[in-house]
Amino acid sequence: MNIKNSLFFFILLSVTKTFFAQDTSSFVQVPKGEYFVGKKGHLLNPYRKADIESYFISKTEITNLQFEKFINATGYKTDAERMHNAMIFVPGLKEFEWEQDSTAYWRYPNGKSRGGIENKMNHPVTAISYTDAIAYCKWAGVRLPTLDEWEIACRAGSTTDYFWGNDRSQIKKYANIWYGRNHLTADSTDGYMYTSPVASFAPNPWGLYDVYGNVFEFCEGELYGKPKNKNIAHARGGSWWCSKNACNFFNSFDIGRVNIHASFSNQGFRVAKSY
Amino acid sequence: MKLYLFFGAFLFTLSGFAQEDTAWKEPSKESQAYHKYRQHLTYPPYSFDKINQLVRKQVVTDSEDNLVMKDKAYEALSPREKFTYIMIHGESYSQNCDAMPPIQDEQTKIFGYLPDVFNEFTWSDRQKKFLTDNRDSVMAWMQECASKNNRIGVNFKTALGLINGKEMIPYVIKTYQIKHRDNDLLTLLMLLMKDNNYAPFISSATYKKLYGDNSNYQDFIVANKANRDLILKRAMDFYNEHKK
Repeated sequence: MNIKNSLFFFILLSVTKTFFAQDTSSFVQVPKGEYFVGKKGHLLNPYRKADIESYFISKTEITNLQFEKFINATGYKTDAERMHNAMIFVPGLKEFEWEQDSTAYWRYPNGKSRGGIENKMNHPVTAISYTDAIAYCKWAGVRLPTLDEWEIACRAGSTTDYFWGNDRSQIKKYANIWYGRNHLTADSTDGYMYTSPVASFAPNPWGLYDVYGNVFEFCEGELYGKPKNKNIAHARGGSWWCSKNACNFFNSFDIGRVNIHASFSNQGFRVAKSY
Repeated sequence: MKLYLFFGAFLFTLSGFAQEDTAWKEPSKESQAYHKYRQHLTYPPYSFDKINQLVRKQVVTDSEDNLVMKDKAYEALSPREKFTYIMIHGESYSQNCDAMPPIQDEQTKIFGYLPDVFNEFTWSDRQKKFLTDNRDSVMAWMQECASKNNRIGVNFKTALGLINGKEMIPYVIKTYQIKHRDNDLLTLLMLLMKDNNYAPFISSATYKKLYGDNSNYQDFIVANKANRDLILKRAMDFYNEHKK
């Protein structure tokens, strides 16, 4: 390729990057291509190129209303309903500590005594497991995004820690997270202690909401270069529980891990499809 | 022409930059070995085979229904057997971001927090209650178990943090000084000083770096002699003051 052609290709690439995330109602289309993912020096998610086919990814996390339609149509019982072992959070717990509550499940994400989701149908569904998210996807004819697909959509063309750059302080504009120094006392600095209605904060440049914060989003796939572990699921993007001091996963590169049957009130998902 | 050259140079720079960034640096063998070293569990000998078999048979971790030992079976265990059970198995789930990601040159760092004991599992409320309700016995059993190979596994360290085992500080220091390798023992000492609000530690630069307002649970200080000696001295001072 000569310099002239290189220049043309470069300009074309720039123009394409600006416009290529096409808005189709509740999904955003990401074109086939080569994208950078990961972070330099990160051992679980190293900086690298990823080739992907075109896919669609939902603009928002799946809501209680959407999940209820699935439950009503199928009678599906979630892991938490069957095993009575959902993990809930109440202020006063030490960092990374959660309580098991036998009454908690998606309709009562923090236990029956703390109320249900009647007035939160536009919040992301939580207290569901990876297994439950897969069941929803099968019913809805969609799938979870792969780890790379999630990251590419989250990054929206960026290669920085956040889709706007590396300045963490801008997170306030985009995400529902935890601003307290610890979790011993409640924190509603951004207006919400637990989940917020989806799309309450500004979207990323491709139109995806809540890629950081609100709920951890389950993905498909294994860590780069690691063997598959059928009992472990990965979720990304941080959650309302995550603070800069503890967790700090509200970024484009960190990848968590959790048992496939574990149900936490900060876990949810968005969906993808290939056509 | 000048414009083409400018963009050509720009493209070349981009290309070179991308190549440098994509270079995958494998952690050194020493770092990988130390990462594994940090995951070491101390297995209590009290009915270990029996308990281990129970965990494998009845509490198989990939079964969605048997993560928690049935109450009747749990209550039938002796206190020492319960201790063994708790030290080798967590009955509850850890949240998605609980695990501390591996990093480069781990052996050169003293972290502010301990690594996970059971990966995506953790102790349940009843397991934690047993440890705190029986803290004197737990500390005695730990000392008995750990003395055999002078290792205090991550399960023991985490439990000592949970039960505020400050009485064990001299033993922890003594164990550290045998091999001078396990920096997580220094982490445990710092956590005990932090949790007990030991003023000289709370006002230190180390505290600010590891536990201050802008700290993160993955933060660390360099494992040099000055830092190691300072932690050991402070911890012993804390212990001596606590004794009075």
